[in-house]
Parts: sequence; structure tokens; C-alpha cells
Amino acid sequence: MGCEHLEGIQAKHVARCPARGRRDVRAPFCRRGDGLRTWVRRGPCGPGAHPSRRLKAAVHYTVGCLCEEVASDREIRFSKQTIAAISELTFRQCENFAKDLEMFARHAKRSTINTEDVKLLARRSNSLLKYITEKSEELAQFNSEQRAKKKKKLEEENQKPVEPAEAAAAKKDNSSL
Amino acid sequence: MEGTSGGFRKELVGKLLQLHFKDDKTKVSGDALRLMAELLKIFVVEAAIRSVRQAQAEDLALVDVDQLEKVLPQLLLDF
Repeated sequence: MGCEHLEGIQAKHVARCPARGRRDVRAPFCRRGDGLRTWVRRGPCGPGAHPSRRLKAAVHYTVGCLCEEVASDREIRFSKQTIAAISELTFRQCENFAKDLEMFARHAKRSTINTEDVKLLARRSNSLLKYITEKSEELAQFNSEQRAKKKKKLEEENQKPVEPAEAAAAKKDNSSL
Repeated sequence: MEGTSGGFRKELVGKLLQLHFKDDKTKVSGDALRLMAELLKIFVVEAAIRSVRQAQAEDLALVDVDQLEKVLPQLLLDF
């Protein structure tokens, strides 16, 4: 107990801590050498903390949804600890995946990870590799279909300006009659 | 094609990967993100289904961490 600036804590320096909102000897303000008073912050939210808690919660939610589907499909239940364990597992596995993907891309002298890197990641199991390759081909086909659609739409829009002009000309003829 | 059932959102996958990159310049293409979302979904579903099969083999109505522990080694080897 104590802060970095004072040898000991003087009772008169204990006041309402802004972080905790109550009188707390462990979070006093102290007098720095230059005479200014500053709050000494304690707790886990110090500088350099990883914002991974929110991500872990998001992963946990998604894992929970997926496990629910499997459970209702097979008419069985998962314990809460199991879902938490799978979610922790997935979060940790992401670290391995990320590092591998980064190295694969760097090995190919690229700074952007692409689908080839992901396919390399899935090499350990034959059925997994086959599934991922199929998905990647589906995606490529989907993308080319989208591009074709966009191109067609653009061509149609380029032809449109001609029609309103014709309609206006026809209207003019009718009114003059 | 995607989004048929539960799955990982692209932004979530992106942030998860960004967390562990050593180089700030490393980016992920959109297609690679979608594939990674699929891969993670398969990972979770495999873990779940293998645990269920283990529990069913042991004649249990609840899948607990013990069943997950038994299927974990092979799961990690396959990924």
C-alpha cells in the first residue's frame, strides 16, 4: 500500500477516488515533487492492456450459437464449461493461424494475406483441404458473377439517357397537334 | 452460400487475426477473411461434434469438459 511518490500515505490525502467513487486508501492522490497533486491509478486497466476481452466475449457468443445448433441437432446438451473451453480454444488457435498466415504471406513477398495462404493453412487434413478449396472456388465464382452483373448494370445505365430524350420528343409532338 | 446458420462475422475474424500480427502492414483480403470465417466455423463445429460423439460413446446425456479433453489431441493435429 502506498504510491510511487510518497513514502507513506497521509490520512488527510485520502479523498474520493474518481475511478472508484468512494473513499479508498489504496487510490489516494499524492503530492508529486513539484507540489502538484495527481491521482495514482491502480487496477487492471493500466497502459498497454489488450482490448481482447471484448473479442473473447464475441467469440464466446458465436461459439455458443454454433454449439446450440449442434446440440439441438443431436438432441444432447453441452455443459457451460465445455462451451467456454471451446471458445477459449478457438481464441488461442486464432493466434497460431494469424502467425502462420502472416509468415506465409511474407514468404511469398506479400503484405496482404490471400486465399492461397488460407488454403496452405488447411493442409493438415485431406477432407479439410478439399472443403476449403471448394469454398474458395465457390467464392471465386460468386465474385466473377457479381462482376458480370455489375458490368451489365453499368452498360444498361449508359443506354438509359437515350430513352427519356425520345419520350420528351414524342410528348412535344403530341402537344403541338 | 454464407450465413445459412451461425457463423463468424468478417469483422470479428479480421480483428482476431490483427491482434496477433507482428507487422503492422499485414492485411487480409476480403476473400481470405471469408475463408477464415469458414475455417473457424468448421473448427468449432468439429470440436463440438467430436465431443458429442465421445459423449454418445460413453452413453452420457451431457457433454462435459472430460469428453472435450479426450478429443482435443486429434482435433489439434487435424488443424
